[in-house]
Amino acid sequence: MALLLDSNIRLWVVLPIVFITFFVGVIRHYVSILLQSDKKLTLEQVSDSQVLIRSRILRENGKYIPKQSFLMRKFYFNNQEDGFFKKTKRKVVPPSPMTDPSMLTDMMKGNVTNVLPMILIGGWINWTFSGFVTTKVPFPLTLRFKPMLQQGIELLSLDASWVSSASWYFLNVFGLRSMYSLILGQDNGADQSRIMQEQMSGAAMAMPADTNKAFKAEWEALELTDHQWALESVEEDLMSRELDFDGMFSKELPSGIF
Amino acid sequence: MASVSEMYDVGWEEMRDKLRKWREENCRNSEQIVDVGEELISEHASKLGDDIWIIYEQVMIAALDCSRDDLALTCLQELEKQFSDSHRVKRLSGMRLEALERYDEANKDYDAILQDDPTNTAARKRKISILKAQGKSAEAIRELNEYLEQFVGDQEAWHELSELYINEHDYGKAAFCLEELMMTNPHNHLYCEQYAEVKYTQGGLENLELSRKYFAQALRLNNRNMRALFGLYMSASHIAASPKVSAKVKKDNMKYAAWAATQINRAYKYTDTLKRHIVHLGGHAEAAMKQYPLPVFDSGWLVAGPRRTNAP
Repeated sequence: MALLLDSNIRLWVVLPIVFITFFVGVIRHYVSILLQSDKKLTLEQVSDSQVLIRSRILRENGKYIPKQSFLMRKFYFNNQEDGFFKKTKRKVVPPSPMTDPSMLTDMMKGNVTNVLPMILIGGWINWTFSGFVTTKVPFPLTLRFKPMLQQGIELLSLDASWVSSASWYFLNVFGLRSMYSLILGQDNGADQSRIMQEQMSGAAMAMPADTNKAFKAEWEALELTDHQWALESVEEDLMSRELDFDGMFSKELPSGIF
Repeated sequence: MASVSEMYDVGWEEMRDKLRKWREENCRNSEQIVDVGEELISEHASKLGDDIWIIYEQVMIAALDCSRDDLALTCLQELEKQFSDSHRVKRLSGMRLEALERYDEANKDYDAILQDDPTNTAARKRKISILKAQGKSAEAIRELNEYLEQFVGDQEAWHELSELYINEHDYGKAAFCLEELMMTNPHNHLYCEQYAEVKYTQGGLENLELSRKYFAQALRLNNRNMRALFGLYMSASHIAASPKVSAKVKKDNMKYAAWAATQINRAYKYTDTLKRHIVHLGGHAEAAMKQYPLPVFDSGWLVAGPRRTNAP
């Protein structure tokens, strides 16, 4: 079914909704920065994260140190009786929203800055730009989507592909996510879908439990690592060709500061 | 005294960019920083905007290095006015007290920071440098070890510890520290070369072989590292001259040493002024391998290579 829409719709509905969504997102980002509480890391957390990094580096770059040194470090980490990863158990306190007040306020702030504006503005757009078809989605949809996407348009015979402004708004909210990464940098407060994903996997992901699991994972990975010394045939490699002295003695000496 | 901008005919933007470059590369050219920075903050303070605070910090540390206490105090006072409750500024005030050798007061400052924020690494490191300045190297080593147990990833600290161990002639432990550095920076030829030198100093056949390998690795990473080239020559000749090695090992090492000697000759041919020394060196090398059990080198030759800096 081919419908010709008034081009005024494009000018006064489609574009304004895009701008509104975009600027609301930017404002949300700055508000979330203002409301952010300082995350205080404990000494233990910092130390653990660095130990994990060191173990990973040992696995990846262990081939640059002599075999004996590599084995010594592997023993320190993985030894059966008192290796670091075997011995250290961190206290696991899952931060549920009830017991940890700071988590609770964080969740509240998250909800206020993200969900509330979305509902408010969605409703306002629905009320303002109602009663007409805004745009057509490029793929065919079944009739089941009609009540959802065609709020306010009471036409039984209209294709489900023609949608109202409210659905255009929701499309924008998710679509502009990549624009936000471009303009505000990664990890920005306007990123709705990331927030929603976090909320879903949310309270189950406790940081302390992670440390124990991370230790176990590192232990397994380190067990599997072997030492392939990168310097086995370094002299032969080196002496296969003449050394390149280009640029070693430059005629110009730096004269002063500039 | 002509100002920096007059001497080099540069504007304030170039001076600011130069300071930023020195900041990013962590250069310790304190006198130059003081010259450029002092002019920048006295003449062009308003044009710098928010950059001025980090320039104050940079100039203050450089001023402490040059004993310019007046300039350091000015910078510190400006920073304290702007950021009254900051740990970073408190550390700077502690550094000034250190420069004035008022170590107890400086320690009190750092302890206050650590009580407030136990994860603050800067304050801990300053406390260790106080111990080092007071000459208490054993305690400094102990404190640094404890620090590294908590913050295993701090490369600066590993390097400092390796230096302290070298000063105490504890080469085994210094080698351990350098191994950490080599693992985290596998493409840095300076760490390989330093490790090889420590192994060479430790002595013993195994360590000499290791040192030869790491000198070769340093050369592979950077063909122009003259210290590594000389080191390769020396460790190979040393092994070849040792009575305990098999004939094959002896032959291999003499081959390596000869190759190193030719490369050294080539390097010196690259510049005309050193032409006279080439014949001296070439003849010396062959004679040494034939007659003397240990190659006799003037210490002057090792100084002839490029100066090792701490910049990775």
